[in-house]
Amino acid sequence: MLRVRRLSLRYPNGKLALADLDLNVRAGELVTVLGSNGSGKTTLLRCLVRTLKPTAGEVWVSETELTRLEGEKLRRARLELAIISQHASLVKRRSVLANVATGSLGRHDSWRTNLGGFPDHEFQAAQRYLGEVGLADLGRQRAGTLSGGQAQRVSIARALAQRPRVLLADEPVASLDPEAAEEIMRLLRRLAVEGKLAVLCVLHQVELAYAYADRIVGIRDGRKIFDEAPAGLPRDSVRYLYIERAA
Amino acid sequence: MTVGSETQSPLAAAFRGWGAPAASALRVVLILVGILVVAQSFWMVQARPQDLITGVFGMADFLRRASPPDFSRLDAALWPTLETVDIAIFGTIVGVVLAVPLALMAAANVTPARWLYFLARGIIGFARAVPDLVWALLFVTAVGLGPFPGGLALAVHSIGMLGRLFAETIEQMDMAPVDALTLTGARRIQIFTHAIVPSLLPSFLGISLYRLDENIRSSLVLGFVGAGGIGFQLLTYMNLFDYRKVSLYLIITFVLVLGAERISAVLRQKLA
Repeated sequence: MLRVRRLSLRYPNGKLALADLDLNVRAGELVTVLGSNGSGKTTLLRCLVRTLKPTAGEVWVSETELTRLEGEKLRRARLELAIISQHASLVKRRSVLANVATGSLGRHDSWRTNLGGFPDHEFQAAQRYLGEVGLADLGRQRAGTLSGGQAQRVSIARALAQRPRVLLADEPVASLDPEAAEEIMRLLRRLAVEGKLAVLCVLHQVELAYAYADRIVGIRDGRKIFDEAPAGLPRDSVRYLYIERAA
Repeated sequence: MTVGSETQSPLAAAFRGWGAPAASALRVVLILVGILVVAQSFWMVQARPQDLITGVFGMADFLRRASPPDFSRLDAALWPTLETVDIAIFGTIVGVVLAVPLALMAAANVTPARWLYFLARGIIGFARAVPDLVWALLFVTAVGLGPFPGGLALAVHSIGMLGRLFAETIEQMDMAPVDALTLTGARRIQIFTHAIVPSLLPSFLGISLYRLDENIRSSLVLGFVGAGGIGFQLLTYMNLFDYRKVSLYLIITFVLVLGAERISAVLRQKLA
């Protein structure tokens, strides 16, 4: 579903942030990316959603290649790709349900959505997505009243409202307590398996990666070091990602 | 760590050597300057406490002649009271309508262009720097006596006050939802109505209600320069030595100011 071919990014100052990175995520698969700070994990995600423009390589989402698209074509192609980040980034003053429904805006271009409203059927859909993340009862509540774990689940529901094929997650559990983190990972896993989504999740927690991933990708200095199922991945290989380079 | 402090200690000691006397000398100078500033202000306003003591009798005389307040003309006082409130409402509404687009240009994070930013900041600063009473004087000269120049004066001054507060609110806005919606493929207008407006609206309403409260207080005195409302009546009866009517208007003023303050505070609390 998501295929990345020889993706490279060189910053204007000459630093190579990503080097010839290859990556596949099939529908129904949860792949986690591990790496130390500055290894290029987040840069990879930002290249995929094109908030950064890669200097070389290809990003395929189903049958569309994203790196060479611009403007309206890029916006349409990007609808297939949803991203959640460390912070839920909800509009705190609005209801939870409205926050979920904003995920659908990209599909609509009407005076109603332009003036801050939604088509009625999107509210029903939003309610369904809220049920899917286990928060069906909280739709009417203000988003600002939610706990961190709840807010993150709402942001996942918003991503679902976008009806993506690929779900990217940038350290989705970094600011959550261990229990909430496990819940989010279980949810992502379920969405991959039951919703047939391709889920690519950048993580800092090695244990969570082992517990929930179909495959673990290790990145160091912008290069892919390994790409293995957890069962076949020795802990030493993971540890190597975090060892400081000899001075 | 100990190594670091030891290497620094000779330097620190050197500073202590002359730093402490310099600091205390500076303190003495600052205290002297402070005393001078206060003393010259008392001299400039020609403060004479003895006049205040003899003035007590004048005040007592005024109070005696002003009581009881002339409530028989309460009905006639209603019109200027309404005028005062309406000047404030007009000034606030027009001020808000004009301040919002200016604030969008004067907020560094959303301004469309650098020159628009400076232009908007200039207009807002100028509107604020000139007091509302001076604006009223100017508009009375331009459009004549009555409530209209008062409303215009409050509108222009409100642009200055509201524009700055609105712009600051926009600059402190949480941009994360805006970025998140951009990535969902929402269009610019949708991002504006779905993420920016809901985040800002409660703060903007609160600021506007506070402004309305301030404007009611300002519009009370605008009448002194001929811009309608209670102030004009107050001045007129003062000049006619009709102190019982003056005290009536003072009571109305008191009720109006406290009422507006309470209502505005309660509404703002509801918004928060």
